[in-house]
Amino acid sequence: MTFTLTITLVLVSVAFVGLGFLITLARGRASASKVLDNPTEHIRAVDLAAFQNLVDPDEEAFLRTNLAPTEFRKIQRERLRAAVEYVSCAAQNAAVLLRLADAGRRSPDPATADAAEKLVQNALRLRLYALHAIPRLYLGMILPGVRISSVRVAERYEQMTRLVVLLGCLQYPTRGIATAL
Amino acid sequence: MLWYYLWIAPHVLQGIILFAMVRRGLLRQFPMFFLYTGFEILQSALLLVVAHFVSYFGTVYFQVYAVGLALSTAIRFGVIYELFSHFFQRYPALNGAGRWLFRGATLVLLVVAVGLAVFAPGNVMDHVLKDAAYASLKTTTFAADRAVSVLQCGLLISLFLFSRYFVLSWRSPAFGIALGLGTFAIAELATTAIRLYVPASDETFDVAGMGIYHLCVLVWILYLVRVEREPRINLQTLPKYDLEIWNRELERLVQQ
Repeated sequence: MTFTLTITLVLVSVAFVGLGFLITLARGRASASKVLDNPTEHIRAVDLAAFQNLVDPDEEAFLRTNLAPTEFRKIQRERLRAAVEYVSCAAQNAAVLLRLADAGRRSPDPATADAAEKLVQNALRLRLYALHAIPRLYLGMILPGVRISSVRVAERYEQMTRLVVLLGCLQYPTRGIATAL
Repeated sequence: MLWYYLWIAPHVLQGIILFAMVRRGLLRQFPMFFLYTGFEILQSALLLVVAHFVSYFGTVYFQVYAVGLALSTAIRFGVIYELFSHFFQRYPALNGAGRWLFRGATLVLLVVAVGLAVFAPGNVMDHVLKDAAYASLKTTTFAADRAVSVLQCGLLISLFLFSRYFVLSWRSPAFGIALGLGTFAIAELATTAIRLYVPASDETFDVAGMGIYHLCVLVWILYLVRVEREPRINLQTLPKYDLEIWNRELERLVQQ
């Protein structure tokens, strides 16, 4: 009987959480347009060079040789925590640009629609890489020595930035990218 | 009176959904959902006939109901697959990840659902029924329904979580179908779970279930009948620094 009650409670709780999630999603759909109203407010600065330095294996090897093991582990954890922050920022920017580009995909101008399409696919790939990279960075904090490939995140972010510029120029040729965002 | 309203009204409203889908050309995009809606109307009409002319909520009625439920459940899986396909078709970058998600989630949820059906198959109310075969049919049907609810609910929640993480935009009809189906699957999960433990009458559960289904039909109508609005980017208010840019450009032109 206790087992049946436990299962009942678990399933009902799952149902309630699911329902809450559906309501949040339906409300989130309405608030998505707020991001389109003012995308600049939601964009966060990302220093790619600093990020690449943080996950650079040579830099890590240099620190490992020149620091005491305890000191190295402490510093490495801090570096990886900062890297997580960078990847999160890049992923958040990708989310904002996704919304912006998704609206641009329906543009009557084929060039704009094409640039928007490419931006959508790149932003999606970046978020996918972020999904892989963040757990790996956390793993690196627990197990120093785990290699983190920053190249794909960095490359994708650069590609995405270029596409944003292109999309901005196509959508607002007289104003430039600053106003497109 | 309420019982009959909840039994008939949603299926009459589903007729409007079929009409709207044909009119808006959504039949080609969501053929499984169209089939599901049509099947639900037919099933309801058949059950109404059986209940009034063959067997008044007896064994025959429940047998027809069980077969209908099995077919309806199979079609609902088709609708969920259709939603996944419709969604990932628009985002080729996520095709691989989406397929992996669908397969992985199905596998994990299948294990959970089978485990649930094996370890918690009982229905408290059925133990008191005198007809052993009828009780067994009901117990099996509800256990299978519960297992399927776990699977469908889990798949839809996975799809919603995935779309939320990747900020994927839902076209109104797809979102409406998923929202209605998700609400229905969640409600089914909750009622079949409560049925396991709470010894309330079948009628109470049936009225609750039909009421929720009515709500889901209204959700489908809301999203399938109304015309989708295009999202607009509001860039009418110009940032202050635009004046500087224009001024610079003007100076450049004057100097040329």
